[in-house]
This record gives sequence, structure tokens and C-alpha cells, in this order.
Amino acid sequence: MKKHDETRRAFLIGTAAGAVTGAGITSHALAQTQRETADAPTTTAQAHGHGGHGAFLNNEDAATVTAFAERLMPGAPGKPGARDAGVLNYIDLALAGAYSDLQDFYRRGLASLEAYCRKTHDASFVKLGPAKQDEVIAALEQGKDTGFTWPSAQAFFNTVRTHTMEGMFADPIYGGNKNFAGWRLIGFPGAQPLFSPADLDSKDAFTGAPIIGLQAQAQARRS
Amino acid sequence: MATEKTDVVIIGVGAAGGILAAELGKAGMKVIGLERGPRLTTQDFNPHDELRYFQRQDLRPNIKRQPVTWRPNANARAVPLPVLNNGNQAGGGTVHYGAVSWRFHEDDFRARSQTIERYGASAMPADSSLADWPLSYTDLEPHYDRAEYELGVSGKAGNLQGRKIDGGNVFEAPRRRDYPLPPLLQDQAEMLFGDAGRKLGYHPFSTPRAIISQPYRGRTACTYCGFCQAFGCHVGAKSSILVTKLPEADASGNFKLITGATCHRINSDNSGKVTGVAYYGPDGSDNTIEADIVIVTTFIYDNTRLLLLSKTDKFPNGLANSSGQLGKHVMAHMMANVFVGYDDRHLNVYMGPSAQKHTLDDLNADNFDHKDVGFIRGSQISIGTGNLQGGPIALTTVATPPGVPRWGEKYRDFLAQYFARHAVMVAQTENLPYADQTIDLDPDVRDAWGLPAPRVTYDWRRPNERARVEFMQKKMEEIGRAMGAHQVWRAPVSPAGAPGAHHEGGTRMGNDPKTSVVNKYGQSWDVPNLFVIGSSTFPSMSGFNPTLTIQALAYMSADAIANRYKKNPGALL
Repeated sequence: MKKHDETRRAFLIGTAAGAVTGAGITSHALAQTQRETADAPTTTAQAHGHGGHGAFLNNEDAATVTAFAERLMPGAPGKPGARDAGVLNYIDLALAGAYSDLQDFYRRGLASLEAYCRKTHDASFVKLGPAKQDEVIAALEQGKDTGFTWPSAQAFFNTVRTHTMEGMFADPIYGGNKNFAGWRLIGFPGAQPLFSPADLDSKDAFTGAPIIGLQAQAQARRS
Repeated sequence: MATEKTDVVIIGVGAAGGILAAELGKAGMKVIGLERGPRLTTQDFNPHDELRYFQRQDLRPNIKRQPVTWRPNANARAVPLPVLNNGNQAGGGTVHYGAVSWRFHEDDFRARSQTIERYGASAMPADSSLADWPLSYTDLEPHYDRAEYELGVSGKAGNLQGRKIDGGNVFEAPRRRDYPLPPLLQDQAEMLFGDAGRKLGYHPFSTPRAIISQPYRGRTACTYCGFCQAFGCHVGAKSSILVTKLPEADASGNFKLITGATCHRINSDNSGKVTGVAYYGPDGSDNTIEADIVIVTTFIYDNTRLLLLSKTDKFPNGLANSSGQLGKHVMAHMMANVFVGYDDRHLNVYMGPSAQKHTLDDLNADNFDHKDVGFIRGSQISIGTGNLQGGPIALTTVATPPGVPRWGEKYRDFLAQYFARHAVMVAQTENLPYADQTIDLDPDVRDAWGLPAPRVTYDWRRPNERARVEFMQKKMEEIGRAMGAHQVWRAPVSPAGAPGAHHEGGTRMGNDPKTSVVNKYGQSWDVPNLFVIGSSTFPSMSGFNPTLTIQALAYMSADAIANRYKKNPGALL
């Protein structure tokens, strides 16, 4: 880091601190404590029940969602996927909370998926091999005749895809992105409170601070 | 049910309403502001939470409680829009916007005349209702200047009193003085875009933004955290109405803000004047405010809806609608995207203010010769992030390169490879007004208060607009290749025709009461104590983001009301 950049970073942090007077904690202190607490083991929303569900989904539906999400975002050595990130836990919690209006959407969508798999392959979605599972998912995505009524196959696919991506990449406080698995996969440093001129000048991956999540932010505010 | 009296009631305390509240309060008028959402503070914006603010749109209207429906034409059934871009709290859209702050070009105020003078009447698309503004850039320049300095805008002048300056926007209209704050720092994508732009003969520059690059008026500078568009600023560096004009309004001692208030009617009498407003409180109560002046400053949907809902026997087609023009000539920017991806370097585009970071203006307005291109008017071209926000969830909502599906191993590897090694160009196109692009009341869909939802009838897919989008995407692909990107790919632009960002029109301003709803001060031709101020009054939209022009118009109207109307109520023209 160049001397000039060091000065700029100090300047930026200093000015950030100056303005948030009377706020209990300054941006400067917040940034520092965030970066320190982030070194400690991160607390993420606990997986509840066994296998990351229990708030809404029953065991069979949970197994289907797990298998479906894993095909959308498959894991491999060194490349965390939906199972590693706890996408099931995210979706289960969301359906019991923020997305409770989608409970019936999921129930009926999963039932239609199951009926289609039994009719076409004489087996449950979770029992199919990855190649067959991908065929089924592609049929939904393309709106082929899969016997879905409401939700439509495409609406169901799009919604599960969206929720899988949220479970991969939303802050761990929502129950997915376990141990920042999603952010590590793509190289996102999380909720950084500031970047310096040197950070902006760099052609390399950002390594100036550990990944920060909301839990660390909240802890910093409490302390 | 409460009844109060005041001098002025302002409906919607956002980009325009916040300025009017402060200025009229300082001029000694008693002002009540009605705001549908809450009043939040900088302290509320600490969680840097992409799911909450970008994905679930926490600072924007809840689409189930406050639906806006859209259909491509009058024969289609309208469906609720899945995303609304306007704000839903005190400060309005300035709380969550990307803060891009332009002065319009001189020819943006006279796009029709400019087109006919340079290319002949036959160049005008026959069905477009493109019209000149009833004011010129020169009229608005002092108010632009005031807005830039009072709010805090960072940028570099490109035309100082006629003197062109490299590194600023050499296509901008002459300004009396430089910006109050130097440009924001550049990121990697901006440097690559700037170098490539200059190589191709363009004039790229750092986009002027209402984000302070240095401490200003007691506020702290931007920390480049990247949680910008869709978020409230965690240090108050974004010059939103929350941290600029609302404190001034409070300090005037003449301003009262009522939050959780949904205005459902503007009351009027048989003398042809408005007498105040009725609004639902957060507890469901129906309340009345009696006022000498009513100022409507909501987003364009509700500006039109409220006037339509306020019809009486005397005003059977809605308030301020003797012209029959209310709800017509609606416009929206379309955002054509071209992506660049690199295999050998990072761009880390999630750093820094996230929207339209660096711009070239060479292909905007009438800044280039349109003789053989098959369309009129142009587009701002900028570099930044997908969906104007640089987080990982945002990237999962945008188009993939050819051959990369939206899920599976290839998709996972695409995200892993390009999240920190991509950037997005956006052409923000100046779509023309057309009389059949409208807002009216949806006959079927109602909001949480039982009021008819605003219904937008709009289809951008017109020959002039399609030709412009195709032209701009090709230009952006050229720039992407000149940037040395390993992958350059384009995204389809709203294939079903739905409107993009930045809506304008519906309460058009003009010189003629027969063909416009309001005069240049936003004053209704029919009802002199009723004002409508915002982008709903724009006769044309420019390729530039609208907010600074909304704010300059608000300053101009505030001056006219405080200095002239107050002494001598009546028509300002």
C-alpha cells in the first residue's frame, strides 16, 4: 500500500467518525470493531431441528427442496453448493416467516413436482440421479407439459431458483450462506463499512479485512 | 377523525416535497407534510443487508399493499408490477437512489424544436407527442446551482461559462461555477471504461452524484462501502432529503410532518379552488386538513391518481384536467445492459457508489448526428453494476453470457469466476412521450385502503425506441471490446414492453392550458392554489436521471410561491 493510500484511508476513517456524533458508536469505531470481531468465530443463524428444517417443511418436502436446490447450485470439492450453504435452512425459515404467503405455493408446487416425477420416471424426485433431476428441472424451466396448474411449472422453478440464490448469498443471519460459504465461493467480503483508495485501485481480490456479516455488525454495536 | 388548518399542505415529502417544505417554512408559511411511510434516520441504515434492501425492497412500496398495475396496451389485462422504484418514506426516492445528479442539456428543454430544426419535421416519429418545455435551461440554471450547493453534489465541471474543460462533461450546458465537491474516487471498472472511451474518441468522466466526496456542511464523506442504490446511507454521505432539507424544514419552526398518512382526496369547492386534503392515518382514521395551498409531490403514479380520485361535479374528469391531458404522455427510461467479464484481473465492482459510476455523454440528447441512424434522441451510457447494485444477489438477477444457463455447475462456476471480475454498462435511453402511454385508475385492482390502483399503459417497443436500443447496445459492445474484456455479452431489454426506471409524465407542463395540465411552476391552469411538482410535469425526459431537475424545479416553484404567490394569490402566469 502506498503512503498516499495509507493517509487517505486514515482520512476517510477519520471523517467517517467525525459525522456520526451522538450516535453511541462512531463509524470509525464501528469499522474497527467489525473488523476485529469478524476474526472471531462467526455466529450464524443456527440450523434448527435435524438436517436444517422444522419451521415449516415436512421431512419429505425438505428432502425434495434440498435435492432440487443442490442441482441448481451444486457443490464440488472447494466449491460450496446449496447443501453446504444451508439453503434448506434458509428456505424453511423464510417460509415460516417473511415468505409465509408462499406456503401453499410450495406445498402445491412440490406435490406437482412429485406427481410429474412419478408419472414420467416412476420415482420420487429425490430418488432420481443427477442427470434425470436436471432433465426434470429443465422441463419446468422451459414450461413443458409437466402437469402443473398453480403454481405454473415456470413460476415454481423461478421461485425456487430465486430462493436458492438468496439462501446461497444472503447474510447468514437469515439461515443460509453458512459460514459465508456463498460469499467465499464468489469472493464477496460482505458488509464492509468502507473501502480505501488503495482497495479501489487494486486489480486483485480484496483481502484487506475478513468477511463481515450482520451478526458481527450487531455485536460491534452492542459492545 | 382530526381536522387541522395550515397555510400549505404538501403530499409526499421526497425529492421535491422536502425542498418545498424547507423553503416555504423558512419563508414563514405554516406547512404540513403528509408522508405515506415512516421517517427513518441514518441510524436505521447500519445493516448492510442486500436481502432486505435490494431483494425485498424494504425502502420501497410494498407491492401487495400498494400495487401499481401495468399493461402493454389498452386491450391487454393489467398485472401488478413486481418491483416499484419509488421511495416509501420521508425523503422519498432520495433515500435509496443511486444519487446520480444531472443538469439536463440545453436541447433537452427543446427536443422537438431541436429535432425539426436539425433534421426536418419528417424526422419526428409521427405518433410521438414530444413537446418543448415551457422554460429553458437558462431559466433553471440558478436553481440547479442552488440545488447542487445546498444538497451537496460531487463532480467536475465540463463547461464553465462556455469554457470546455477536459475531464468533465464537455457536452453539459454552461454552468456558472464548478461543483461544490470534487468527483468521487474511481474504481477499476471506471478506469477501464474511461481508457476505452477515450481510445474510441469519446469523452468519459466521473458521473456527478449527490454523494459527498469530502466532509460538507457537517456531514461525513462517502466511505465507498458499496451499499448505495437500494440502501439508505449508513454515514449520511448520500445527500438525501432526510439529511439535507428535512433538518432545515424542522429548524424553520413552521413544519409538521405526519407519517403513515395516505392522502386519498384533494378537496375543492364550487369556486374552483382546492380547500385542503383528506388522508387516512396509520390507525385507519379519516382525517382532514384545510389549507390555502395544496402541493402534490408524490411519485408520478400517485400524482395522477390523486387528481383522478379528487373529481367532483365541477371537475368531473378529475382535478386540473380541463385539458383532458391528465395521465397522458408517460415516459420511462429503458436500461439496455452490456456486460464485460475478465479472466485475468479483478474489478471488485461491489466497491464504491454502485449506480452509473462513470459516464460518456457523446451519444446522448442531440450530441451526435442522428441523420442516418433511424431514431431521434439518445442515451446516457455508464459503467457500474448489474441492477445498479453490486452485491451477489443482484448478480443472480441479471443475464448470463451465451451458453451459460441460469443454474447448475456452469452457472456456479460463472458466478465464482465473474462476480468480482465483471462490470455492467447501461444505456439509459431517452424514450419519447406518446399520448397513449398513460396512467389511469385500475378498475379491478385496489390497494390496502380500498383505493383503485394506478394502472400504467406503456410499451417501449416502438420503432424509434427499438432502433435506439439496438444502436446503443452495439456501441456498448464496441466499448466492451476496447476495454479488453474476455467476455462481452448483452442482456435482453424488457421483452414484454414493461417500463424501466425513472418515470415521467402524466401531469405535463406547458405554455397552453388546452394542451397541458400545469404551467412551468407546476401550478394547475384550472385551480391556481393547486401545484403539482415532480417528474410528472416533464414534457420530455432526457437520457439523464431526473432527480436534480425535479429538485431545481422545486426550488424555482418555492421561490415563485414565497415571493409572488404569497403576496398575490392567483395565476403566476
